[in-house]
Amino acid sequence: MSSPFLKIKREKMNVEFKNINKHFGPVHANVDINLSIKSGSIFGILGENGAGKSTLMKVLSGFIQPDSGEILLDDKVVTIDSPADAINYGIGMLHQDPLDFPPMRLIENFIVGQKGGLVPSYKSTMKDFEELQKKFGFSLDPEAYVDTLTVGERQQLEILRLLWMGANALILDEPTTGISSLQKEKLFAALKILAEQGKTIIFVSHKLEDVEALCSRVAILRKGILVGEVPAPFDSDELVEMMFGKVITLGERNNLSQEKVVLELKDLYVEQYPLRIENVNFQLRAGEVIGLAGMEGSGQDILLRACVGLIRPISGKVIVKEKDLSHKNYLEYMENGVSFLPASRLEEGLVPGLTLAEHFTIAGDEKKGLFIDKDYFKEKAEKMIDEYHIIGRPDLNVESLSGGNQQRAALSLLKNSLSIILLEHPTRGLDIESAIYMWGKLKERCQQGTSIFFISGDLEEILQYSDRILVFFSGHVSPPMDASTTTLDQLGQLIGGKGWKQVFDTKEKL
Amino acid sequence: MNKSRTRSISLLFQLGGLVFSLLFVSIILILVKSQPLEAFRLIWEGATGNATRISSVLVVWVPLLLVTCGLLSTFTTGMWNIGIEGQITVGAIFTTGVMRLFLETSLSPVLVITISILAGMIGGAIWAGLAGVLKTFGGVNEIFGGLGLNFIATALNIGLIFGAWSRPGVASMSGTEPFPEQFWLPTFQNFRVSIWSIAFAIIGLVIIYFMLQGTHFGLRLKAVGKGMKSAFRMGIPTWQHMMLSFIICGLFAGLAGAIQVTAVYHRLIPSISSGYGFMGLMIAMLINYQAIWLAPIALFFAALNIGGIQLPIVLKLDSSLTGVLQGSLVLFVMISQGVKQKFLGRK
Amino acid sequence: MKKKFAWTVIALLMVMALVLSACQPAAEPVAPQEPAAPVEEPVAPVEEPAAPAEEPAAPAEEFIFGLLLVGPYNDKGYSQAHYEAGEYVVANVPGTKMIYLDKVNTADRPGTTAAQLGEELIQQGAKLVVFNSDDMKDDAVEFTKNHPDIFVIHASGDTVWTEGENYQALANMANLMGGMEYGKMIAGCDAALHTQTGSIGYLGPLINEETRRLASSAYLGARYCWENYLEKDPADLSFRVTWIGFWFNIPGFTEDPTQVANEFINSGADVIISGIDTTEGLVEARKATSEGKQVFAIPYDFVGACDEAPDVCLGVPYFNWGPSYARYVISAMEGTWKSAFEWMPPSWEDINDHDKSAVGYLSGPAMSADAKPLLDQFIAELAGGLNLWSGPLNYQDGTEFLAEGQAAADVEIWYLPQLLEGMEGRSE
Repeated sequence: MSSPFLKIKREKMNVEFKNINKHFGPVHANVDINLSIKSGSIFGILGENGAGKSTLMKVLSGFIQPDSGEILLDDKVVTIDSPADAINYGIGMLHQDPLDFPPMRLIENFIVGQKGGLVPSYKSTMKDFEELQKKFGFSLDPEAYVDTLTVGERQQLEILRLLWMGANALILDEPTTGISSLQKEKLFAALKILAEQGKTIIFVSHKLEDVEALCSRVAILRKGILVGEVPAPFDSDELVEMMFGKVITLGERNNLSQEKVVLELKDLYVEQYPLRIENVNFQLRAGEVIGLAGMEGSGQDILLRACVGLIRPISGKVIVKEKDLSHKNYLEYMENGVSFLPASRLEEGLVPGLTLAEHFTIAGDEKKGLFIDKDYFKEKAEKMIDEYHIIGRPDLNVESLSGGNQQRAALSLLKNSLSIILLEHPTRGLDIESAIYMWGKLKERCQQGTSIFFISGDLEEILQYSDRILVFFSGHVSPPMDASTTTLDQLGQLIGGKGWKQVFDTKEKL
Repeated sequence: MNKSRTRSISLLFQLGGLVFSLLFVSIILILVKSQPLEAFRLIWEGATGNATRISSVLVVWVPLLLVTCGLLSTFTTGMWNIGIEGQITVGAIFTTGVMRLFLETSLSPVLVITISILAGMIGGAIWAGLAGVLKTFGGVNEIFGGLGLNFIATALNIGLIFGAWSRPGVASMSGTEPFPEQFWLPTFQNFRVSIWSIAFAIIGLVIIYFMLQGTHFGLRLKAVGKGMKSAFRMGIPTWQHMMLSFIICGLFAGLAGAIQVTAVYHRLIPSISSGYGFMGLMIAMLINYQAIWLAPIALFFAALNIGGIQLPIVLKLDSSLTGVLQGSLVLFVMISQGVKQKFLGRK
Repeated sequence: MKKKFAWTVIALLMVMALVLSACQPAAEPVAPQEPAAPVEEPVAPVEEPAAPAEEPAAPAEEFIFGLLLVGPYNDKGYSQAHYEAGEYVVANVPGTKMIYLDKVNTADRPGTTAAQLGEELIQQGAKLVVFNSDDMKDDAVEFTKNHPDIFVIHASGDTVWTEGENYQALANMANLMGGMEYGKMIAGCDAALHTQTGSIGYLGPLINEETRRLASSAYLGARYCWENYLEKDPADLSFRVTWIGFWFNIPGFTEDPTQVANEFINSGADVIISGIDTTEGLVEARKATSEGKQVFAIPYDFVGACDEAPDVCLGVPYFNWGPSYARYVISAMEGTWKSAFEWMPPSWEDINDHDKSAVGYLSGPAMSADAKPLLDQFIAELAGGLNLWSGPLNYQDGTEFLAEGQAAADVEIWYLPQLLEGMEGRSE
């Protein structure tokens, strides 16, 4: 692998944190963190949302500077001022929400990162790219535009790019959320190869299962403090206790669906290059939860967006509460009680630069005079912050909240008495406790008759919370399946395209 | 770090920008063999030396303030309304056109002036609306659309001055035939500035301040500007708000143009916009889009413009030096904001 | 973030541009007559720091006059001619001092008016103020009315002309205008004497009374010399006027004078007379000549205009404001000021006498040996009383302007409503 632009050439690198402290306003996000990570290992960093994992990693990757403390690479103190600096030291970070340059082609995005010669060599880069992705079994189209990629594919691209730029230490922040189990397998295999080569892999997650499967050693953070380090093999209960300080259990599943149909799809035909979804007929009942399962980019996001006017159907009908909204726009869907919570929170969900209180002002239906009743909305924000356990203040900009808190905020912004809530990856990036809480809140709404239509890459989540499931495989949609009689294995097979014939008795060849 | 400390550090950096730009201009002055202190004293004297000069400064201040008020509306929705110059010009054209229609009628001059000013505001709004339509429906970046519309407005203006509205016999760079005195916005005795135009400026500032700070509408504009997709998902009709922000800006620009016609030049002249649109863009950047700083900074720019006239008269310096001062001020303040962000750390 | 960066760059470029323009006075040291000025003058106000606002700062014996110039003082054209006239006054009238402000137009000095800027000159002690452009007429009149104690010269204006259409009695104003009609006649004659194709192009600015009468004067001069010296049929002389729309090229608004000049050349014209302030005619003539097609040109306004392309320059009609300014400054100083309108013909003893003649014609290097005596003869005839503005003369549309033996009155020339018969080009 060519890596012509490193500050220091080396194959292996030990990473050490010494007394790292970082504050964000009133929040002490990292408290005196001391941690030593050896090269050639996969090191897990575990903690619930807001525990300070991302902050610590951003310090290492140059996105933020610590208030105090040092970073040592191979026992030498270094100052990392910027992400560019970090990559010069051989540290590459894969973000929770991958950052890239959306209007570009993959290969251009790849080239942009390089500092080398004036004229980027398109041909050799292309060769490197193909070789690299073959190694890890990825199948990205280098000529595709980045903004057509799913989050999972963007992550793959980002990993390739960092490796190609010569990262010796790779930081992965919640890499398994939003990607399919197949992609996860590929990723884990790739990480193991890299560790064997002597790379330092830092794996940030809140998913016990992933950490247990992959890491040789785990550090646990809670509320900014390093509570302990544990070597493999791990004891799950011990890890959970270290993470949360208490033991928690999943909520009970209960079917709340009523007879009334709130959403009906009739012979729906939608298209978004390169996928096409045809002949969807489906009825969503009040209070029902429907999970859309499938690998990233199998068409579930297209269908979801077609149900809220963000993609116009080519033919067929979308009927909400007996009203034909097929060719209406998103705002009319909203008026009819349909709400949508997208996956990329800061791009499509919340407005960066506005405070929590301002979000409640915009989202609320009440007090819509000419002037804003600022006190009222501040109080409302405080109330919601309390009710939804958001770590933040009414006057804090949403982008300064942690991922989980952003999701809680987005949820708290939903209006009361909605007919349908559409969600993309509602618990991506959330710790178990937050996820359970989130679903608790959603189920409360189901009790009031709200229906939920959601996408998740986490099959367990789908099985756990759905009443019925739609499975997607490259544009094909299955008939609804009863979640209570479906197994995880079955579902895993189906999203991989296996067993459709047997289960659905379909004549279509997949 | 508490808020007041952050704010005072901010202020310190702004002041730093000011100091640096003064130093920068001083170096230029020394290079052209002039004494910086003397030059600054002359500018100060030239802007504040007597009541006439102060009134001249206010003549510049009023349209500058109005234009920048309008720009705050488009900046709030995240757009660079470069077409502002054309919007001022078209406002002035509409004002002149309507006033010409009523010159011979028996309507009271007060009524004619009022209608003409309203027509100017509508003209500015139409021109801004065009930029908005190009942006929202045509997908034309507002910068390019605005430049094109500026060009058309200038051509239209000059075409009218030298063509349909030219003076009898003489087409002249000095503009159309001046309106009779009863159609002028009344001024103070012997001073150039009109109490009415000052009133318009203050009312405009108050409106834009409260609109952006305190209203639901202003907050929605801000949301559109900060994150259009997210704002849309939250139920804000985005293109409608973008159009409205353009139209509001156009109303202000048109009012500025109308004041140029009714209170300053009393006729249509080729450069009726006086470059206030571009200067307004600089001011908006300088005040970081916060209406609260607008009045003093616009006053400062106006004072530089008027005070700078002393430089060529007394020191035989080119008066575009004040333009350098204004430009470098914006530049250095922006640089210092960048440095500040580094200093205070990322949020 | 990216947007912000782009704007930083633009702002930087703007600053650079402004810096460059601000540095100009330093880069080319002008004002050779007063080399000490930039050093001394800044000191003056320091000595009387409190004074300038309340009372003029000048010592009692020094008479300060101020110039308001529409263009840059070093524009090698109209405004420079005025600036040099001011210097002429300082050199020839003891006890005078000049202050000036150039680029007095709303594009260069936004938000200001000429009247307001005139007041700034008063603040600096000026007792007499010159408004040098026709465009400043409204301001000059307003200023004159508001300051009855200040003497005002409005060059090219007609306000105090009792026979004029815009007459107003203003005791403290004088209107001066060089009799450029003669300069243009000489230019026209010169062109006729040199054309081989019998086709002359006149590069006109915008259409107004002044520009119509100047183009017509050039035509009259051309036709006279063509008919009387070369003994050719006036019907064979083609004299074409193309108006570009303004005094200089404004891309997108005016026609491009370079293109217009080329059209002249391509359609057979071999002499281009310029009525505009810039030298495209000269430049294009030189280009055509170097490509083997002999074309001459005659620029306008400024005595040094031929320097740009001497080998194709036949000569230049120019203004010389100095002597008339000196007269009025002296009368103001001595208390003998009289409001007057003066339309000043050349001094016929020597039209290029810088101490006397208000208008001159400086022959260029391209003037041929054959033509020289004929042109001198023409000037002598004009000096002897030849009046080309006399009948029979028709307007362009064929209606009669002057009957046989009738001479035009000044007002008829000054306010000329149309071009003349025999000229091609638009009158309106």
